[in-house]
Amino acid sequence: MTRSQKVAPAVVELDGLSVRLGGRPVLSELRATLGGHAIGLLGPNGAGKTTLLRTLLDFFRPCAGGARVLGHEITGDGKELRALIGYMPENDAFIAGQTAVRFVRLMGELSGMPARAALERAHEVLFYVGLGEARYRKVGTFSTGMKQMVKLAQSLVHGPRLLMLDEPTNGLDPPARSRMLELIRDIRDRGETHILLSSHLLADVESVCDEVLILKQGRVADCCNLAEQRRANRSFVELELTRPTPGFSDGLAELGCEVALAGDRRLKLVMPASVTVRDLFQVAAQHRAAIRRLDCKRDSLQDIFLRAMEDDHGGV
Amino acid sequence: MAVYERAWRPYAGAVTPVRGRFLVVTRYALAEAFSSRLFTAFYAACFLPSLLGLFLIYISHNLGLLEQLGLTRELMGGLTLTFFRILFLWQAVPAFFLMAILAPSLIAPDLANSALPLYLSRPIDRRDYVLGKLAVLFLVVSPPTWVMGLALFLLQASEEGAGWGLRNWRIALAYVVGHLVWIVVISLLGLAISAWVRFRPAALGALFALLFVLSAFGSAINGITGTSIGDVAHLIRAIASVVQHLFGAPTSSGMPVLVNWCTLAAVALLSVLVLYRKLRAHEVVR
Repeated sequence: MTRSQKVAPAVVELDGLSVRLGGRPVLSELRATLGGHAIGLLGPNGAGKTTLLRTLLDFFRPCAGGARVLGHEITGDGKELRALIGYMPENDAFIAGQTAVRFVRLMGELSGMPARAALERAHEVLFYVGLGEARYRKVGTFSTGMKQMVKLAQSLVHGPRLLMLDEPTNGLDPPARSRMLELIRDIRDRGETHILLSSHLLADVESVCDEVLILKQGRVADCCNLAEQRRANRSFVELELTRPTPGFSDGLAELGCEVALAGDRRLKLVMPASVTVRDLFQVAAQHRAAIRRLDCKRDSLQDIFLRAMEDDHGGV
Repeated sequence: MAVYERAWRPYAGAVTPVRGRFLVVTRYALAEAFSSRLFTAFYAACFLPSLLGLFLIYISHNLGLLEQLGLTRELMGGLTLTFFRILFLWQAVPAFFLMAILAPSLIAPDLANSALPLYLSRPIDRRDYVLGKLAVLFLVVSPPTWVMGLALFLLQASEEGAGWGLRNWRIALAYVVGHLVWIVVISLLGLAISAWVRFRPAALGALFALLFVLSAFGSAINGITGTSIGDVAHLIRAIASVVQHLFGAPTSSGMPVLVNWCTLAAVALLSVLVLYRKLRAHEVVR
């Protein structure tokens, strides 16, 4: 597994962060440096994902250690930091009696936008998230899916540098979930906003994030760079032939692959970047080798997560 | 960018000063309050005592009209202090109902709909939020109370002339300080109760109950003990005594005015404490 590496200015730096709530430890000694463009917070229910997000927003005070977000200390520069962040909470959250456009406009103004700019942007983001036609309806009358979208809109209105999304696909049906993930990916791909996505759904995190922090019982269970992981996985291949074919492994070696024999019909190879799977089949054709099985090694997020969740005795 | 383009871009425009950001909360809450026609009508009615006062000041300086009514100018002049004290009461009672209606609607719905994390994830803090909500009550209640009272005082002073304003400076002081104390104490109490109860009708009921039950409790203690010790808990009497003292009139409370001031300060501090405890982005379950 490739550990996270600091290649860009860190988005989130956790420096022994510990939080106690109601007298019990919820986060303990978190240490990590996350610099990815889209960072996933993974963990089972109660692992401390939401508490970590809220602590980064200065809702909860750390009892020990500290953290920096976009270079700002979370405890000292609260207002400055929150001006750079858009937050989409997990639960239903809206202001009673307000239409969607008024609600989003208010949130924009609270973030410092002048009234006119906030109104203009409120219309834009509501169209962007697909609520353009419903923007004059009161938020209280929205369905769950629409409420999720309006929460996303209010978190986007002021053009934050970091978007904190807490379980954004909660309560969404498959098409709405797909639309939500598509929007998040679109924001990520524009490259101007970092995303911190908290979810217990591996598929959501895998489809959006390039870096993952896995929490377990308030501690860091793992921290990995999915983008590097994906790049690295592409070069590992396992082959099984229908019969032993001498010369095939030599042919692969001539291509530049590192070949290891795992039995008379099984081979494991590391392909250089210039070699594709198509080249392997061409070599097989030249040597009259019949390939029965070809596996590109894929260390999925699920594997990583399950390994991280294993307890000291090997159980999950 | 046109909305039909359905794209999103970061914001790079001007930003308003952080110091006055709480006024955004105030502006939206004011608009919300006056979106109700019933509330707007009641608010307009709150100006009636002041308009009646204006009319009385006008006729007291209209000698022709006084003669027709068979009144002498000296009679109206002698009633000046009493007139302003009664006018204060007529302004304060509707103002109380104004605050009792408005205060619970400012915080309770936000807490009921979990809106506080949305507010507090922006560059404002709990102090700004409370300040914004308090400013709503101050801006709404001030015009029909101390602003109108002060205007009437200045009108009377200008009509009377010859140092009347200087001789009766306590009236102006009583109007400004008395109404401000009234507004601050009841507003904080109303906001604190709505933060505690989180349900608007229940918060309204609780505010009335707290005021009148506490006052009845204070009177009962006075009745049982035969002393004035119960006045410590008698919030209405405490406010009345402070205002009477400001007017330079004898107070209705058996306790010294300082004790009444302490009662009001204690209620305000307790309310601030409740607001501090209850207004959090997320409640911690122990």
